[in-house]
Order: sequence, then structure tokens, then C-alpha cells
Amino acid sequence: MQAVVLQDLSKTFPGGKEAVKGISLSLRQGEVFGFLGPNGAGKTTTVKMLNGMLTPSAGKCSVLGFDPSREPEKVHAVSGVLTEHAQMYDNMTGIQNLIFYAEIFGISKEEGRKRGLTLLEKLKLEEAGDQKLAAYSTGMRQRLSLARALIHRPEVLFLDEPTSGLDPESAQNVNQLIRELAQEKGTTVFLCTHQLRYAQEICTRFGLLEEGRLLAAGTLAELREKMNAGAELRVRACGISGNGKFTDSRIQRQWKRADGESAGDVFCTKIQSEAEIPRIVRTIVEAGGDIYGVEVKQPTLEDIYFALTAKGKEEEQ
Amino acid sequence: MNRAVSAVIKKDFFSITSNRRLFSTILIVPLVLTIVLPSVFVIAVHFVPDDPDVLKLLELLPQEVGTVSVELAVIGLIFNYILPVFFLMIPIMTASVMAASSFVGEKEKRTLETLLYCPLSVKQIFQAKVLASFLFSMLVSLISFAAMLTVLELEVFFLTANLVVPGINWLIILALLSPAIALIAVTLIVKGSAKAQSMEESQQGAVFLIIPVLLLIVGQFTGALLLNVWILLVLSAVCAFLAWILLQRAMGRFTYEMLLK
Repeated sequence: MQAVVLQDLSKTFPGGKEAVKGISLSLRQGEVFGFLGPNGAGKTTTVKMLNGMLTPSAGKCSVLGFDPSREPEKVHAVSGVLTEHAQMYDNMTGIQNLIFYAEIFGISKEEGRKRGLTLLEKLKLEEAGDQKLAAYSTGMRQRLSLARALIHRPEVLFLDEPTSGLDPESAQNVNQLIRELAQEKGTTVFLCTHQLRYAQEICTRFGLLEEGRLLAAGTLAELREKMNAGAELRVRACGISGNGKFTDSRIQRQWKRADGESAGDVFCTKIQSEAEIPRIVRTIVEAGGDIYGVEVKQPTLEDIYFALTAKGKEEEQ
Repeated sequence: MNRAVSAVIKKDFFSITSNRRLFSTILIVPLVLTIVLPSVFVIAVHFVPDDPDVLKLLELLPQEVGTVSVELAVIGLIFNYILPVFFLMIPIMTASVMAASSFVGEKEKRTLETLLYCPLSVKQIFQAKVLASFLFSMLVSLISFAAMLTVLELEVFFLTANLVVPGINWLIILALLSPAIALIAVTLIVKGSAKAQSMEESQQGAVFLIIPVLLLIVGQFTGALLLNVWILLVLSAVCAFLAWILLQRAMGRFTYEMLLK
């Protein structure tokens, strides 16, 4: 079953600003979907439409079969939302806040406390549980908000910049928790971020967004294939002519000289598949070159995103 | 009551009582109106009891003076005719401060958005907030009345060795008029909360609600209008009707989008 479906979803604000332009995609249950784009790309607006906070101007969407604009309460009952703007009560302690939200989700006080304490422990907040939120740092608030979003064990989790304000160790804890939820509990995660490297680390599929438009969607491999990006082969060797071309006529490749290293020079070239590597290496060796290192650099999500936006701009021109 | 709605109400009660600044704002009006003001009246009457003007005034009023002392009669008049009008300010002030804190305050502190992501409809959140403000204002009103009665009776007993009897006016005020005007105050504040960006801005609206009460006070002092059971009953009915209309109109108006602006 598809957990989250967006069909030609658009949102134009009363002032005329088109925040989301005809996005269509669907998320399978249990996947961690990275919804990526710079600030102002329409990520938060999409999350708000998926939770019924905003009504779409055109198109439709559903979360576990519920239409958020018609049955927002049902969507909220099965989903957890973490956004930068959704704060908790400063005059209450961490655990009091969690118990309060548990009660709103129909969970008893005792069960709410139990679940709250478990989540505080998982997010390394057990010592801060009895402190009032007024004394919390930004990172602690962010982790507590994640605990709040998880208190009712949602089937779908909407996370808007979940690691913003977190130190590397806390970010690692949060990532671990998100992975566990998706793999062990089958929770579907819709993760919005502008940090592409972070998304590549944790998400299983991606949607790349620019100015409200969906540029591309798919797994990293699918996106690489779609972009026909190929990989970069970096060879650290001696005996390869430095004037930009490999001397051996059997492999006429465009080599680009990279920064010099301790032994040999680093040469880079584009390859379409890893199957080409043994032949290239063999040829260099047979031609009398000494190889000190071979490295394949696949295009990152960042490379793909920039290639896509550049392509978009070229098409516009 | 739904567990979620009662959790919101409990949380709102906790929020207001744990916020010292707001709670002292709420307590100061009842304290002045139910403890300080009645005490000033009682002491003043005790020390200037035989003014011939007061006796003339008493003759004009529908009070049986013959059976009790002049002092007790004047205190009884103040207690049953002047203080009830002042008392009406308590539900208005309490309900306004509480409603502003629980609706606009949540919006200001960005906790309302989190509440909107919970499985409660906007209508249920609205109902919970209105109910919390209404119940809190009724609680403060009742406690204020009990405190006033205790202090007043003690003072009167020590000064005259007698007790004053609360009139039926008080029953109507406590049971009908106070709840109705508290509801009007709450609904008006909540209605304006979609536009208001800060608690202070929202509370300013409550000032206009005090004006009719001030007119009643002036009316009582100048004798232009004398509160009696019938006037109070009619006033209660009008206010209750107005509260109901306002509540119905405000209830269907809110959407998530409006509240998050």
C-alpha cells in the first residue's frame, strides 16, 4: 500500500506566490523519503498540505488513504509531525509535555509516562526529563519535539529539518532512531531537508525540489541513471603523460590532471560503469605506468541536484 | 468529556496558575473588588453612620430600615446593590486574561501549531479553550465571592455584632449573569485572536467590555438605575442570548490556515 500520495499537488497563496507547482509522487510504507531542496522550495508548504494545515489550490494528496483537507484529525492520529515552528510548553518539564501530548492522542497518563521515559532515554534526554523546557537548549528542544512526534507511535512521520540545531552526536542518535523506526517498525518517513549530504546518508529514496517544482524523484541509483552522470575514476600513477591525454593509443581517454600527491600524479576520467576499470588499469600497467591507487567517485546527491538545476536553467534559456 | 479535551483544559489551568505574572494580574482585580473595596465601605460606614443625608437616602430605598440599625442597613445596601455591579468585573477580567493567554498566548509561543497537529478538530480545540477560560473565570468568581462574604461577615460581626444577609441579587449574579458575561468576554477575545499577534493586543479588546459595567456602576451610584431582581434577570437573559449567538458564529469560523497566519 502507498502510505503517502501526492497527485498534481499545487499551492498558490492569496498574494499570488506559487509555493508548490503540480507535484506528483508516492511513498511506499516503511521507506525513508528525502524531500530535498533549498529554503523556500516548498517543502514545509507540502508538509502542511499533507497534514491539512493548508488547503491545496489544485490536485490532491492522501496519507494512509485519508484526505488531509477533509479528515485532518484522522491524518494526525496516524502521523507524527516535527517542524521548526511547532513548539512545546516552556512552563512544563520535558516529561510533563510528553504526557500531555500522549493524553491528547488518547493514551493514558501511565502509558504516556512509560513511553515518554523510553523515548527520552533513546534520545539521550533522560536527565533533562524533569527540567522545565525554558532551560532546554535548541538541540534538546529539537530532540524532545521528535519524542513528542513519536509518542503515539505514528505510522507516518513528517520531519522538517530534524537535525537542525543538533550537535553531531545527537544527530547520530536521531538518525539511528529514524532508521530503526523505518526498518523495524515499518514507519514511513517523509524527511524534508536542505542538507543533501545528510539526506544521502539516511534516506532510501529522494525527491529533488526547486522553486515548488519536483525536478526528479527516485533512489540514488535511479537518479544517477536518469542523469546519465557516470562515475569518476581517479588513478594515482606515474608514467601517464601530463598533457591531458593518455599516451597509449589503446585507451584514448580524456584525462584531467588533479592535484599532485606524494607519489605519482592523480588523473581523473569519466566512466559509465565499474566494468571498465580492470581494462583501464591493465592498459596503464601494460603501457609501463606505475599505479599507486585507484578510486571510483560516484556522483553524490549534491552533484545530481546541481546538475539538475543547471539543466533546468539551460532549458529555460 | 473526551480525554483530549480534558487534557487541554487541565493544561490551560496549569499554564495560567504557573505563570506568576499572569496569575497575579488575575488575582489583583478580585482582591481589590472583594476584599479591599468592601472593607473600605464597611469601615467608612462604621465611622460616619449618622449623616442625615444617608438617612434621607435610606428612606428612598426599598429597604426595611426599621428593624436593624442604620449602619447595618447601609452596609446591607452596599453589599446587595453596589458590590454586585463591581463584582461583574471579575468574570470579565479573568475570562479575558485566561482566553488571551490560552489562545493568543499559544499562538505567540508557537505551541498552537503543535496542538493543531494533534487528532483534535479546530472546533474541539476551540471548545476546549472556551471551556477552560469559562470554567476558570467561574472558579475565580466563586472563590472571590466566598472570600468576600467571609471577610465582610467577619468585619460586620466585629463592628456591629450582627451579620448581613446576601440578597437574591447575588444568586442571579453568580448563577446567571456572571457566566453569561464571562462567555461573552471569552468568545470576543477568541474571535479576535485570529488577527491578534500578541496577548497584550488581544487583552486590550476586553477594555470595551468593562464599559457597560461602568455604566451600571454609575447608574447605581447616581440612582438613575436601581438593580433589582427583574432587571438582573432580563440582563442575564440578554447576555446569555448574546453569548450563545457569538459562540455559534465564532465556532464555525476557524480553519487551520487562519490560525497559523
